[in-house]
Amino acid sequence: MESEQRRPPIGPALVRFAAEDLGHGRDRQGRPAQLVLPGLTLTLHEGERVALLGQSGAGKSTLLAELRERLGARAAWCPQHHGLVPQLAVYHNVFMGRLPEHSAPAALWNLVRPLARPWREVGELCALLGLAGLERRPVGRLSGGQRQRVAIGRALYQGRDIFLGDEPVASVDPHQALRLLGLIDARHATSVVALHQRELALSHFDRVWGLRNGRLVIDAPARELTLADLDALYPDADEPAGASAEPAVEMPGVEALPCARGRP
Amino acid sequence: MSDSLTERPRHGRHWWRGDTPGLRLARHTLALVALALVLLPFADLAIHTRDPWGELQRMALGLAWPAWGSLESPLSAIGLTVAVAIWGTLAGVVLGVPLALLFARSRLVRAGCAFLRAIHELFWALLFLQVFGLSAFTALAALAIPYAGIFAKVFAEILEQTPRAPRDALPPGTGRLARFVYAELPLAWAQLAAYTRYRFECALRASVLLGFVGLPTLGFHLETAFREGRYHEAGALLWLFYLLIASLPGWSHRRLIPVLLIGGAWLLGPWPSVDGALVWRFVSEDIWPRELLAGDWAGLTSWLMRIPDLAPAIGNTLLLGLLGTVGALLVAMALWPLACRHFGNRGTRLAGHGLLIVLRSTPELMLAFLFLLLLGPSLLPAWLALALHNGALIAFLMARHADALTPGMPGLSAPGRLAYELVPRLYPGMLALLYYRAEVILRETAILGMLGVATLGFYIEEGFDYLMFDVAFFLLLVTATLNIAVDALSRRFRPRDGAVMDDPCAR
Repeated sequence: MESEQRRPPIGPALVRFAAEDLGHGRDRQGRPAQLVLPGLTLTLHEGERVALLGQSGAGKSTLLAELRERLGARAAWCPQHHGLVPQLAVYHNVFMGRLPEHSAPAALWNLVRPLARPWREVGELCALLGLAGLERRPVGRLSGGQRQRVAIGRALYQGRDIFLGDEPVASVDPHQALRLLGLIDARHATSVVALHQRELALSHFDRVWGLRNGRLVIDAPARELTLADLDALYPDADEPAGASAEPAVEMPGVEALPCARGRP
Repeated sequence: MSDSLTERPRHGRHWWRGDTPGLRLARHTLALVALALVLLPFADLAIHTRDPWGELQRMALGLAWPAWGSLESPLSAIGLTVAVAIWGTLAGVVLGVPLALLFARSRLVRAGCAFLRAIHELFWALLFLQVFGLSAFTALAALAIPYAGIFAKVFAEILEQTPRAPRDALPPGTGRLARFVYAELPLAWAQLAAYTRYRFECALRASVLLGFVGLPTLGFHLETAFREGRYHEAGALLWLFYLLIASLPGWSHRRLIPVLLIGGAWLLGPWPSVDGALVWRFVSEDIWPRELLAGDWAGLTSWLMRIPDLAPAIGNTLLLGLLGTVGALLVAMALWPLACRHFGNRGTRLAGHGLLIVLRSTPELMLAFLFLLLLGPSLLPAWLALALHNGALIAFLMARHADALTPGMPGLSAPGRLAYELVPRLYPGMLALLYYRAEVILRETAILGMLGVATLGFYIEEGFDYLMFDVAFFLLLVTATLNIAVDALSRRFRPRDGAVMDDPCAR
């Protein structure tokens, strides 16, 4: 593979989990109150591109949240369901990637009139993402695929070495997905991307982490794996449609909906 | 209703023991009504006027043939009413927003806001009247101060319910202000604006009412005309008031607000000449009992004993609050089908809508005032006013929610639709809303005393009239405490399941 040839050698470890318990919340002893990934052993190396696979609820988001916490400001972050502000323009949403670099008055003024340098930079980024000319449009009026690209644009605009994405290419077609992953690769040496497309995981990434029911069952170089190996992560895949109770989990959480309590 | 039970339930007194939400709500309601019935004999519901029907006829005639020509300077009264409402609301927002940002974090701020909210606009007006006289400042402060407390609470709730995802997506190290204006404010903006607009509507009604304590808004002219029996002139003023409320969507457009603000600033006045020493004396000495300032505890006890009729006043206030709440429940249940698309024909629906709009846009105090002229000073006019106004408001919301429902079973008769399709879906939300309103009803109950009904407001106004500021202020504190207690109580008893009508604009 051509991407294989220009890959730099795998660097030192960035994050290392040694039989650690991951989950949500903290109880009084500092352990996770709600255990999701018990006894996780895993290392992320610099320069590695990792595809994170697993069913919904397998613990992908928990692992990514923990990685994000440990990597802090070194990692760019592209959350699941985008986490965009629908009322603000594309430009402002992308700009938020570098919000901490601006003083509060500058950030306020930028809402009234875009600052010159960010406006130019975001414009260039939007052109790359196929969003040219949409900078002033509120995100709420974009299509699903366009929103996805705005969310990726915001992560790219952060300009970090490491990219962490929770299903960043879930709502675009396969062709677009390849293009977007290419953009992410061009700007980040290291990435961890949660995915649902198994083929993409094998063709585009160096390494695959596979989670199933809170256990890391695959941690291997992508070239050593086959699609059949990955099928083991999805036990319900060969059951007839309707027998699976899973689809309900796919619904975005209440928090992700624009109106948390369904109020008018 | 009991399909979840494994054992087949026996026929009979099932409604008494069953544990389905419907039965629980039914028992809840019956208990409330029974409590009101048991306490009813303690209420003074006598009719003191000789000829209420004749009086009603004269009023209706006045409303039917308004004397437009006899109005003196109606435009300036309307202008002042609107100016006070818009500037009062703006001042409330300016004071309330910083409080809203602190609301979740500070118990002190929450308690302070509860106190500001618990005292009615008119009581604040009475208080400020003593130091700033009949001035624009009194009117603005009377609106701005309780509204600051209300805005703080509601805005804090709205902000708390904005989706968290955009906030979580921000890169680490983002400043508090930047986070607020980029990832919180835009998400909440539409709701904040809608609530502010609703509050402005309330401010408009309150601004009219400020006329009842002497500020020259529309209410002043209304009260004078009614009291002096000039019903044709009063009818004209009442029509003017309804026109003002009905035309609100037309003239309160976003783009017109700066014009209203600037125009209103010209109309506001007169401005008081503030004597700092006088204000300080009022705040530090006049409103506190002399015995308290001197540290004379025995004297304080006897001061407390001298306060007239404290227990009956509190009892009447609570009783009227309860009766008003139960009355509102009954009125709402009776009226909502009139305005709902599932029942009647175009004509009845139009009439129903008209009735509900008139009842809910007339402030309780004004309704009570009219009934008082008809029936004389007892709890009866106040009860009628509270039940009709709040009942109509709840009925309006119920009808709106019912219109959004599609019956699952077509072709049912009207009673069948009512009993099987609509009421089971609407009632839980309605009862929850009623419990929210209970606090508002109690606030209003206290203020109705100013008309001569023997609730706390009567003694507060008397205290101010006789310059017994310490007594008046103490009674104000009692009122506020009572309100906060009832709010907590109604929060405790409010049915939990199904807050479908939980709209901040309804509280």
